[in-house]
Amino acid sequence: MKQSTVESTRNKTIAPATKTRPMTTTAKESAPPELSQYLMAVAADRDKQAFAKLFAWFGPKIKRIAAQKLNNDAAGFDITQETMTRVWRKAHLFVPEKGAATTWVYTVMRNVIFDAMRKNKTQQAESLSDDIWPIEEQISEESPFQDHLMTKQLGELVKKLPPNQQEALTAVYYKQLTHEELAKQLNIPVGTVKSRIRLAVTKLKQQLGANND
Amino acid sequence: MIKHHPSSKLLAGYATGELPASIAIGVAIHCKMCDQCQANVDALTAQLADQVFDAEITEPMAYENEHFDVAGEADAPMDMDFGNMIAAITADDEISEQSMVRSTSITVKGKNFELPAPLNNVRMSNWLNIGKLSRSSLNLDEGAIHSHLLHIDADGEVPTHTHKGFEITLLLDGSFEDDMGTYHPGDFIELNGEHNHQPKTKEGCLCYTVADDALQFTEGFHKLFNPIGSLLY
Repeated sequence: MKQSTVESTRNKTIAPATKTRPMTTTAKESAPPELSQYLMAVAADRDKQAFAKLFAWFGPKIKRIAAQKLNNDAAGFDITQETMTRVWRKAHLFVPEKGAATTWVYTVMRNVIFDAMRKNKTQQAESLSDDIWPIEEQISEESPFQDHLMTKQLGELVKKLPPNQQEALTAVYYKQLTHEELAKQLNIPVGTVKSRIRLAVTKLKQQLGANND
Repeated sequence: MIKHHPSSKLLAGYATGELPASIAIGVAIHCKMCDQCQANVDALTAQLADQVFDAEITEPMAYENEHFDVAGEADAPMDMDFGNMIAAITADDEISEQSMVRSTSITVKGKNFELPAPLNNVRMSNWLNIGKLSRSSLNLDEGAIHSHLLHIDADGEVPTHTHKGFEITLLLDGSFEDDMGTYHPGDFIELNGEHNHQPKTKEGCLCYTVADDALQFTEGFHKLFNPIGSLLY
């Protein structure tokens, strides 16, 4: 492909002929709206395809930003790995109503960079970023528990879960199906049933403010 | 009612993550107590995210191809390392359960205080008492920048002091007065340079303080303040 050489790209930018394709090299690349759906798919289903899409968009950017901030290419790579690992593991904490996917990933990246820079500068290995920029606030303020009608509240919280998690919870906890039975019924792997339930229970626990240790 | 807020410069620095930990902790505690500043920080953060990610223009050709390949299976061209990274990350099915906000409480002079969450993992020294003042230093290892919890018992005061650099005082509990007025919990007071002040408290108070004491009290008359100055900040 002759087009993909650096030279031809440059020529294209300079040449007035680019008019025919206005969205080329100088265009700002703004965030695709699907990003938050990908995040929710990772949260609800551990969807690896969706994660790969998120990675394709964020990964190279994070790498460049981090390499620049830490003035070190290898660090850029490490930060990307750590940030995207957290995205994979914490996607269920993303609340689309609260803000854009880019904002959420930005805060995850900012925290990773903050801890990495502190580790470089000080003798301390503790990560302080999650205390300094708490994520849990976003959840706790939505569910202030004033009364003790747990069943009713639980029911309402269940309704807020992604549909496939609701379905899994209802089947297993109310209809008393086994994981295997439900898997067969929905024609999905048992592992998927288990992870849906685990995600749902984790989310409920957080919202109920239970201590899980 | 909170009357004193971090400067917009500090709020921006907090959003970008570029403040030293000690100062970021002060801003974080304030934001937990002040919805208005928290809202400002949220707005700034959203803006920053846009700027940072939008400004990142990748090799144009690569992305052009991607744009025209919406339906295709081919993902964005990425180097091998990234492919391996994705595989490694998604191979692990763990999810991070959100750590619950622990509340840690501290006792100073027989009084109990709930420690603000941003200080949860910060190492603190034992309390050191002189008269009505008690102080615990926080070990954040930030060179010249020192942070402390400072408790002043009812009817106590801090002797007049001055210093080069800056001093941040965040009132956590109780109240105190100085020549500029009365301060309440959540107030974030930033003083610098030549500012003289002599805080007094009627009911007692607990503060989080950050100061840059580099080159402080090192010459002439100021040396007289050294013993008390280095103890407090």
